[in-house]
Amino acid sequence: MDPEGLEDALDLSRDRAQNQGVYIYQPAKPGKATSERPSKRRKVSSTDSRGQSSDVQCFVPLLNGEENAESAQLRYETYKKLWSAQEDKIQSILEDVDAGVLADVLSFVRDNSPQTCNGCIPTGLVTVGSNVSSLTRLLSRLNDQLSTSGEGGVVVLESGDAPNLKTSLKNIIRAAITNTEGNDGYQKFVTDRAGPRLLGYDLDLLNDYVQRKGTKKLVLALRDSEAFDPGLLMDLLSLFKSWLDRIPFTVLLGISTSVELFEGRLPRACVSLLQGKHFEVQEAGNCVDRIYESLQTDPQGKLWLGCNITSTLLEKTHDYFQTPEAFSRMVKYAYMSHFFANPLSVLLGSPAPATVSQIWLCEAIRNLPSFRMFCEDLLEAGSPDDVRNLLENDGYLLEEALSHVSAGQQRMQQIFHAVIAIHAFLQHTQSAKKANVSDLSVRALSGELNESQVVDDMLATVRTFDSGKLGPLLESLPETLPAGLALDEIRTDLATLVDTNGDFGPLRSEYNINSSVVKTTVVQQRILLSKGKSNLSKRDVEYTKIVDRLVGALQEYLTEILIQPQELFMHEAFLFDLRNPLKETFTPRPRFALERALANPFDYLISSTNASGARISVKQPATAILYQLYLESGALVNIHDLWQAFYAVFESDQGNTCDDRMIMSLFYGALSDLKSFGMIKNSRKKTDHLAKSAWMGL
Amino acid sequence: MQPADVARSLSSQWPCRDIQARQLASLLHPNTPSLPTLVVHGVSATCKTTIIRGVLSTLEVPHAFVRSSECITARHLLTKILWNTLEALGQKDEWEKYGKGRCEHVSTLVVLLEECLAARAEGQRGKFVLVLDEIDRQREAPQTLLSALARLGEIIPSLCVVLVLSSTPRPLFLQNAAVPHVSFPPYTRKEAIDILLASPMPLVESLPDETSSRVYPHFVATVYDTLIGPTAGSIPTFRSICHQLWPLFVAPVVQGEAPPGGNAEWDFTRLLVKNRALFRRQGESALVHRIVPEDTSAPSKTLRKPLATSAAPSALPHLPYFSTLILTSAYLASHTPQRLDTIFFSKFSSSSLSARNKRAHHRRRLKVLSQAQAEDRAAGNDDPSTPRKGKRTKTRITKSTLSSAFATSSATTSAVGGGAGITGPSTILSARPFPLERLLAIYHAVDPNPPENPINTAAVADQIYAELATLRRLRLVVPASGHVGFASTGSGNTSADAGEKWCVNVSGDWIGELAKGIGVEVGEWLAGGLD
Repeated sequence: MDPEGLEDALDLSRDRAQNQGVYIYQPAKPGKATSERPSKRRKVSSTDSRGQSSDVQCFVPLLNGEENAESAQLRYETYKKLWSAQEDKIQSILEDVDAGVLADVLSFVRDNSPQTCNGCIPTGLVTVGSNVSSLTRLLSRLNDQLSTSGEGGVVVLESGDAPNLKTSLKNIIRAAITNTEGNDGYQKFVTDRAGPRLLGYDLDLLNDYVQRKGTKKLVLALRDSEAFDPGLLMDLLSLFKSWLDRIPFTVLLGISTSVELFEGRLPRACVSLLQGKHFEVQEAGNCVDRIYESLQTDPQGKLWLGCNITSTLLEKTHDYFQTPEAFSRMVKYAYMSHFFANPLSVLLGSPAPATVSQIWLCEAIRNLPSFRMFCEDLLEAGSPDDVRNLLENDGYLLEEALSHVSAGQQRMQQIFHAVIAIHAFLQHTQSAKKANVSDLSVRALSGELNESQVVDDMLATVRTFDSGKLGPLLESLPETLPAGLALDEIRTDLATLVDTNGDFGPLRSEYNINSSVVKTTVVQQRILLSKGKSNLSKRDVEYTKIVDRLVGALQEYLTEILIQPQELFMHEAFLFDLRNPLKETFTPRPRFALERALANPFDYLISSTNASGARISVKQPATAILYQLYLESGALVNIHDLWQAFYAVFESDQGNTCDDRMIMSLFYGALSDLKSFGMIKNSRKKTDHLAKSAWMGL
Repeated sequence: MQPADVARSLSSQWPCRDIQARQLASLLHPNTPSLPTLVVHGVSATCKTTIIRGVLSTLEVPHAFVRSSECITARHLLTKILWNTLEALGQKDEWEKYGKGRCEHVSTLVVLLEECLAARAEGQRGKFVLVLDEIDRQREAPQTLLSALARLGEIIPSLCVVLVLSSTPRPLFLQNAAVPHVSFPPYTRKEAIDILLASPMPLVESLPDETSSRVYPHFVATVYDTLIGPTAGSIPTFRSICHQLWPLFVAPVVQGEAPPGGNAEWDFTRLLVKNRALFRRQGESALVHRIVPEDTSAPSKTLRKPLATSAAPSALPHLPYFSTLILTSAYLASHTPQRLDTIFFSKFSSSSLSARNKRAHHRRRLKVLSQAQAEDRAAGNDDPSTPRKGKRTKTRITKSTLSSAFATSSATTSAVGGGAGITGPSTILSARPFPLERLLAIYHAVDPNPPENPINTAAVADQIYAELATLRRLRLVVPASGHVGFASTGSGNTSADAGEKWCVNVSGDWIGELAKGIGVEVGEWLAGGLD
């Protein structure tokens, strides 16, 4: 390796000069001294240009750049419109979910004072479970309510804000005052006082503020109570306790595990300062299910998430700590990638044919697998002229595509109507484990729902229902079911039948277990059991007919509606089902990337030669060479051995001409890099050995 | 006013503190020469502060009161002393004259106090009392603070400093001989009962006055003997327990139940016999303060409530699948000695009979060992003087340790595991810190749904880090930097690499339950598990 290259290699990271473990000292050349000095970085104001360019041309033209600007713009606008509507919905769902707890907490804060709590600090314990973000929303809304009514405010303290008592008190006081007065108000408040200047952590400041504002409730919320140091918590709380007669504190503790676990970790003296109530925030899973349901069953919906994406999303919520916000971000990303990267998505914006009629878009449509299937179906149906038209006439193709997009969107809506109907049925038929909408949706989107066990069980259970149960079931069905089901007729028939036979108790169908009789016959000392129908009364026969009608209609409806969405022509436009960008983006793998970069540096760097033969070569960065040697060693490795091996790599390449000292410095540099990655440390067992502390591929 | 009169006027409101009130009154009386320093000590809830305040206001001595527990630093305390003095002397508006209201050292305080006391009007140049409440609890106090404050009174003749301590002072702790001490001892049985009877009785509707006045004194005495006396409870606890239990105690009378034995009337003995269980259950739970009080509104219901429901733990937290698995691995990593990793977790010794036997052998060995350690520790606690450092724990198992371990095994586990289902450790080996790489390796070993093609699937380490961060925020897993235990990190909880090693912070059966939920049997790898 030539010295110039080496110098470059060592100098390539000027920014890491701060924490560089090893470097080669080069005295500055006298002539160039002034010019070598790094120029000061200027603040570059990028705000001015960003303001204009954000709306224009966010999306790049697709189809090899042949897409026209209007289409790209249209895609962007459609995305914006669609997502803002969905986002509003998500927001309202989140608010709705919190509403119950918020009302409880608010009334607790209003009703409780130290007097009602036996002189202890009124404390609300809010268990949030894995739904970590809900507390933030809750607290900000609580703050809004309290400050608009002039009763006080909420001070949120996080464990990061509370390294010690002084700082946390400072933060609390500052937050309480800036909450209503703003930052300048705080400065003014501290300086423009009548008396001597107070220390920043003196609760007298807060006391003054409370007296001046007439605050009735000052809520102190510890968002992640578990992460607080118990000693600090004890100090803080005892301080509040002693000020309680002057400052109306209420404490809200956010707990992610359980009240018992939390209480068990606090000292007894600390627990005895607190008294209050326990609130529970709804689990994140419920929230996510509701969000998903509203996204997919939206009557104005244009884009649907396919089953791959749905299962990825749901897996993420069930297996990991994930907030509803994170869920909605993932959905947003999915929407975004669809509109960003799929030229067909322009069709969702219901464009005027003039803007989109491009050769390239039509070519793209002709290359779709669903187009091929559609043509094959047309051919089988015996209309080759249509197919020829589609293949040759761009205008006709676009028209067809657009009409199929809207038809397909309708089909998707119907599928979700059916899913909701099934869910409504299941509320009545399943007693123990209730399937939720998202589980059903995954099956529906993969086209398996109709043949699934769930639906079979559901229909079988409906058959056995007596009239007492069937009535409410029919009443509770959603309005979205089509008229073709003739539900109204069934309902009226049932009502008249029940009315006329009201005296005889509930009607039973022939499928009901009470309606079949087991006969026992003894033949040659063997008992034969035979099931037979008991004689059904006339009204029961009538009722059975109604039940049969209902079940038949349902079965027909479900088979018609619950198709596989991938069979629809143009489904690529309105169904987003690519698992990959989503999964890759939301599970970053820094360690994997790091290990790969070190083990195979030419996966990332451009190699000057074709480094195919030897795995370790001099052309690789020194750290990578050392890392690969390190991989070959055991848990303890002698530094001298490592050096020998490292040197051998260079020696074999350069023969006798290699520079000992340069290689040694490279070795040290690589070693300090590995150390800063946390891969090696000095061993305590043997002084001249290094201990390996990271293994590849874990 | 004479000291005896002061004591008499106070005793109607604060009974049983006559002697102390008289001592204080005579020492602080405006006509007696000023005393430089006075120490008042006694455990908490013995009426120290109240009596001092009462005496001072009855005698109408000018005084300033500083609650030392409200001062964050020593400087804060000194500043507060100055301000409160100024306020008491009515010189609050002239603060700029006295060091601009700043006071950073005791020596400054002496000068400033002297100045402001000298600035008083001619007629008010009497005694001035400065009360420093809970001064022994002062945060960040320098060692010399107490004795320095005690000198204040010597330097300024008209000043009397009263130091209120809640711990018993060591002899000569002020480095000064002959400082008068007034001690506030805890109330005796008779005093406590008298105080409680003097305060109004809790009201119970539709209870005849005659019955209550007859039964209540006995009841109070019984509560003291059963609950308060043995636990050294204070008067407020005493009162709150009486108020809690009294409605339950007289519930049979209120509900009109017929007294047993054909008697026409309920008397104390019969009520006590009827309510035997009350003292055991409600009473003991009343002694332990909980943040969320248990509902005792419906006496008839709570009395009949079976023990199981009241002791049942509330819903335990539920973690997502992946986090549960990580927590389980962390638990295993903490509770399995590292040298046995290859035996327990290696894929090469997975399921053959001999391997299983080997593992079972090690589990038993570990269990016995851990119990031996526990015993050792117990013995060590009994005799703290034995030097424990440097002594190597022998892993040799003698016959006696074996037999004693088997004898105590059931007792220990059941005793510890009783509390609310979370606290009980299923193994007695204490949690030990482990490096992160070991957690990852164990994760791969215990994963119930291992990837089908481990070569091609991406590494999960990065996802594990993310979840571990959340677990850490919940304090289920904590970085073990030097010490074991969760109180170790003093500050800066957010810094990520405080230590290279981690430690699981929640012990026991809860993790076992969680792990069972995702199909991992923790006992298979633990000392004493599966037995």
